[in-house]
Amino acid sequence: METNIGSRIAVVGIGRALAWRSDSERKTPLQLGAAAAVEALRDAGIKRGQVGALFTGRTPQAYMVLQYNQALLNELKIGPTFNTEVTAHGGGALGTLQLAAVALHAGVIDYALCVTNEASGIWMDQVTSNAAWEGDLQFEAPYGASTPALYAQFASRYMHEYGVTPSMCAKVSVENRNWALHHPHAAMRAKGPITVADVLASRMIATPLRLLDCAVWYPGGIATAMVLTRADIAKSAHRRASWIAGFGQCSTHEWVGERMNSWGYEPIQNGPDLVHTGAGVAARQAYAMSGLKPADIDLVQSSAPFSFANLMMLEELGFCAPGEGGRFAESGGIDFAGGLPFNTMGGYLSFGQVAQGLYNLHETIQQVWHEAEGFQVPDARVGMVHGHGGPMACHSVMIVSREQLR
Amino acid sequence: MSAAPPDAIDWAKGMDLMAGPYFVGLYQPSPETAGFWDGVKQQELRLKHCARCMRFFHPKRIVCTDCGTTDLRFRAVEGHGSVYSFSEIHRAPAPEFVASIPYTVGVVQLNEGVCLFTRFVADPGPIRIGAPASVAFRKLEQGTLMPIFSVHAA
Repeated sequence: METNIGSRIAVVGIGRALAWRSDSERKTPLQLGAAAAVEALRDAGIKRGQVGALFTGRTPQAYMVLQYNQALLNELKIGPTFNTEVTAHGGGALGTLQLAAVALHAGVIDYALCVTNEASGIWMDQVTSNAAWEGDLQFEAPYGASTPALYAQFASRYMHEYGVTPSMCAKVSVENRNWALHHPHAAMRAKGPITVADVLASRMIATPLRLLDCAVWYPGGIATAMVLTRADIAKSAHRRASWIAGFGQCSTHEWVGERMNSWGYEPIQNGPDLVHTGAGVAARQAYAMSGLKPADIDLVQSSAPFSFANLMMLEELGFCAPGEGGRFAESGGIDFAGGLPFNTMGGYLSFGQVAQGLYNLHETIQQVWHEAEGFQVPDARVGMVHGHGGPMACHSVMIVSREQLR
Repeated sequence: MSAAPPDAIDWAKGMDLMAGPYFVGLYQPSPETAGFWDGVKQQELRLKHCARCMRFFHPKRIVCTDCGTTDLRFRAVEGHGSVYSFSEIHRAPAPEFVASIPYTVGVVQLNEGVCLFTRFVADPGPIRIGAPASVAFRKLEQGTLMPIFSVHAA
């Protein structure tokens, strides 16, 4: 990799629209996406005619049209010269900003608008529909594989190979909940704090995963929008910016069963396993691009949807050694009080999982702007966001900073 | 979901969307896997095989990962291997599977090096990582005959 893109691109406007299933009006992803986009343009202080590129995440589950980007640009009445969906499951959400950064750095556009939106929590039974989307219809779904059971294949191997215990995993659930208690929009905020014993006593879903080891589907929908531009424009025309210090991405497979028949590329160069993911590759790319190291990161968000997967990600993102995620968490490494600020909205386990989205990045930018809606990490300057999608298949990492670092 | 006449729908509230029940477990072989399913009908486990590289592949493979040929042929294998990973399911993904709870799905590593996602049954078990397993054929919850793996004592 040879690039000087780190800290050359900035987010200069953000927007978010949020709705709950219990609201009197049911909102569609397009309603939310359009509202978030307008808010981001207003926040950036640019007009719709200035939008050079539109990148959306994959088509919302609750708005199945071919080429959702087209539906959105039609609604916003914009005429981008570069526009597409960016998929890679949940990893594609951050991918929209990565593509925007590359296009801006190349100079083919001046402003990019990135939008993700989903409202499956309002319109769908996600337990059933997600199992259909995450499993191979021919070789996995007929066996009755639930979504947690697909991820549990990774969990079983991870715990077996590294001696990670259920109580180590449960620590993630407990600390995510502690953060969620401070966030006004967290799905589990009203449920109060939980203990390791609560997690271990919650009902079994798919061994070794219990109810409180699993992400909670967000009981609503969220759209997030970001306006990006180049450093010279950000500094001359905008009142504030959050800098994209570095980013990376790596996708390894599509289905769990197929993952175990893959080799010949990082991170499974010499043969497959279920304990290494593309997140490590993506993180190394992001660190190299930014010139930063894990100790420079003030807060971290991961969209890992199960407790054990968050431990794996702490390893992959460089915050502890391979196999040490469990012991890192158990010894206070991610404690709300005094540990690495990790999943500051409550993570997918307690904030909730919208099928895909940039809301973790939105939170991170608000943290480094010192405008957090929940608990503000004191003097937060550099944040890392990990976006994951597919059964441990697609990973994106982005580092954002309060100041331009290079 | 029965189709309501359009004038009976409150469009301000919209309609619930459905995806899952139509798709979970849908049996839909494709041309490159037809030979696998022909084998299953005869209670024979077949894998793709590259005669040039002498290597077995997952039944879905279209190109040889080593030499790039598309001339992959199905070859019957004995169906012996071991449990690579597993999970016992306590909450079913769709109504058809509720009566079977708990049941175990996982990844079997065949002696030929290929891994398959599968259903494990204890015979006599216990089902745990590394335990030996061999193929059997069983009509599963949705009426499809599928290869499953019996897990033997270590």
